[in-house]
Amino acid sequence: MVTQVRVGIVGAGFIARAHAAAYAATEGVKIIGIADPVREKADRLAEHFGSTAVADLSDLVSLGIDAVSVCTPSPTHADLVEAAVAAGVHVLCEKPIARSFFDARRIVDAADKASGIVMIGHVSRYEPDHARARDVIAAGGIGDVRMVSQSILSAAPAWSQDAWLHDHNQSGGPLIDLAIHSFDYLAWASGSQPIRVQAVASDTAAGPVTYVLITIRYANGAIGLVESSWGHPLAYGFQVATEISGASGRLWWEYAGISGGRMATEDGAVTLFDTLGDRGFRAEIGAFIDAVRAGGPSPVPATEALAALRTALAAERSLSQRRPVALDEISS
Amino acid sequence: MTDRIGIALLGCAHIPHAMSYARTASESRSVRLVAAWDDTPDIAHRVADRFDIPLARTPEELVARPDVDAVVVCSATGDHRRLVELAASAGRHVLCEKPIATTLADGRAMVDACDRAGVQLHIAFVTRFYPLVQRVRGLIQDGALGDVRGLVGGNRGRPPLPPTYPDWITDPARAGGGALIDHSVHVTDVMRHVTGLEVNDVGAEVDSLFWNAGVDDMALLSLRFSGGAVGSVDPSWSVPAENPWHYDFYLRIVGTKGALIIGDTTEGLNVVGDVGRAGQVFVPFAVDIDGLMLEGFADSIRAGRVLEPCADGPDGIRALEIALAGYRAATSGTRVPLPLEPDA
Repeated sequence: MVTQVRVGIVGAGFIARAHAAAYAATEGVKIIGIADPVREKADRLAEHFGSTAVADLSDLVSLGIDAVSVCTPSPTHADLVEAAVAAGVHVLCEKPIARSFFDARRIVDAADKASGIVMIGHVSRYEPDHARARDVIAAGGIGDVRMVSQSILSAAPAWSQDAWLHDHNQSGGPLIDLAIHSFDYLAWASGSQPIRVQAVASDTAAGPVTYVLITIRYANGAIGLVESSWGHPLAYGFQVATEISGASGRLWWEYAGISGGRMATEDGAVTLFDTLGDRGFRAEIGAFIDAVRAGGPSPVPATEALAALRTALAAERSLSQRRPVALDEISS
Repeated sequence: MTDRIGIALLGCAHIPHAMSYARTASESRSVRLVAAWDDTPDIAHRVADRFDIPLARTPEELVARPDVDAVVVCSATGDHRRLVELAASAGRHVLCEKPIATTLADGRAMVDACDRAGVQLHIAFVTRFYPLVQRVRGLIQDGALGDVRGLVGGNRGRPPLPPTYPDWITDPARAGGGALIDHSVHVTDVMRHVTGLEVNDVGAEVDSLFWNAGVDDMALLSLRFSGGAVGSVDPSWSVPAENPWHYDFYLRIVGTKGALIIGDTTEGLNVVGDVGRAGQVFVPFAVDIDGLMLEGFADSIRAGRVLEPCADGPDGIRALEIALAGYRAATSGTRVPLPLEPDA
């Protein structure tokens, strides 16, 4: 017997659908409402999940919610998290925590004052492959971490409202919106934070600065590479490859090698059987709801998401100034 | 078979490579292994006894032998210059182990000596000879990827420690450095070879946290190429002892019209059994790239010019320059533009 948790979702786009599907699959959760300024999007998602479409966060609060997912463009996160916290609502905010360091600090401050929890949606931590790798490392399976690398290669995202993901000022492109996954995961998995980064980038068919290579030095001496691309052909598939080397061993895996099977049909189509599916989002939402019921602590605190954003912003500065940038240079 | 090119090993201090070249040469139809020399008698005898070839007492004696048309220089890197200059002065063509030298000044002197003597200088960038690398080169030349925008490559290995490897490889004074200079040159050479792009500037993180071998064993290069492409190279000695394979090579490239990935850790068998080590062992069935390189060397000598896809002296200098810039970048905490000044 669990108490029912009443949730709302702000934003009705690509990620909101993933959140909604995970909430719908979680016991004792009711999706009270879905808010989006584009009414048709809110209607469509609300109808699919048997919920109510509304215009904004205050409408959701009026409906009576315990918790809210913030699934809107990055520059809107700080206002929404502050408002949700002020309304006494638990918050799950999508990654990146914000577009600017200033906004991220606002969210950290709001989380400090909040009566409920503020969790940032670094879903990589909950993907079964990523989580198991972190477990192996934490158990000493490869010794102290010495080298890390993660490569996330994809085509340009085609789903964002008014193409906000392609507006550098809103999303930061793959350097921030995509590489943030790697910055957060690698620091979390290796147990050490970056102290210095240098980035190089190129323009691809997907637009300016859509292929980025970030070289990282960590506080524990480890070095790392993050490769983030929106410039790959759609047919290349969404490819994630991770390798972590320690003092006494190494682990690695890649999406190309972890499909559970494949099917070919006479029309020439080949379908790979993905083993991950929505397990990551389900685990993330499950952790959020568990924390809501338990009254905390936040499974992914805003301070840790701020650290990942700091890495991304240091990489952005490295790119514009063509030099290695120390993380402690990023303070405002 | 009297037209086979007579090849001698001038320095065998890179023992595993010297052994491999000797085996390949002894099985070749286009070259003939005729003699060897090394300043360490034990090493010299190991090669000569195994392949039943005469030993020269001095390098001068070796290059003066009338049956020696060309030499393979497999000495410690710091000795390359002296031996290559000697071979050139005797009019012998040279295939020199990578990296070309420990300093740009030595590398340039070697190129000049061979140019003056009218002999060919090849650098042993065997990775070029992987059929997959040549296939990628052809695809890029045909425009399959459009303009190249990004390259990520690696050549990682176990640490080259004694007794399998001689101690000079982990001596910075004789090898020029550690993993960074040892392995990055293969990858940067292939990047140049398949794209035709040159490196404009280099950033690097370099350290020695794996093996306590007194020399860098981990590194990542951050590269900017002509034309706006960017790249990264992992040359680390980061392969654990129990790993199924000893070393790897991989390359991913994205261009404006396509993307590809190649690697050499799929071209083999997975074996658990009695093949020298416990656990799972990777037993490759790849073609013998050392053999392809020696054939290319012999064909080039017959043709009177360095043929594709052989690497020449300037190729060796370009790759060395990138590695040296990497060390400088790591020390200075800056990005280092190329070319380096001439006295580097």
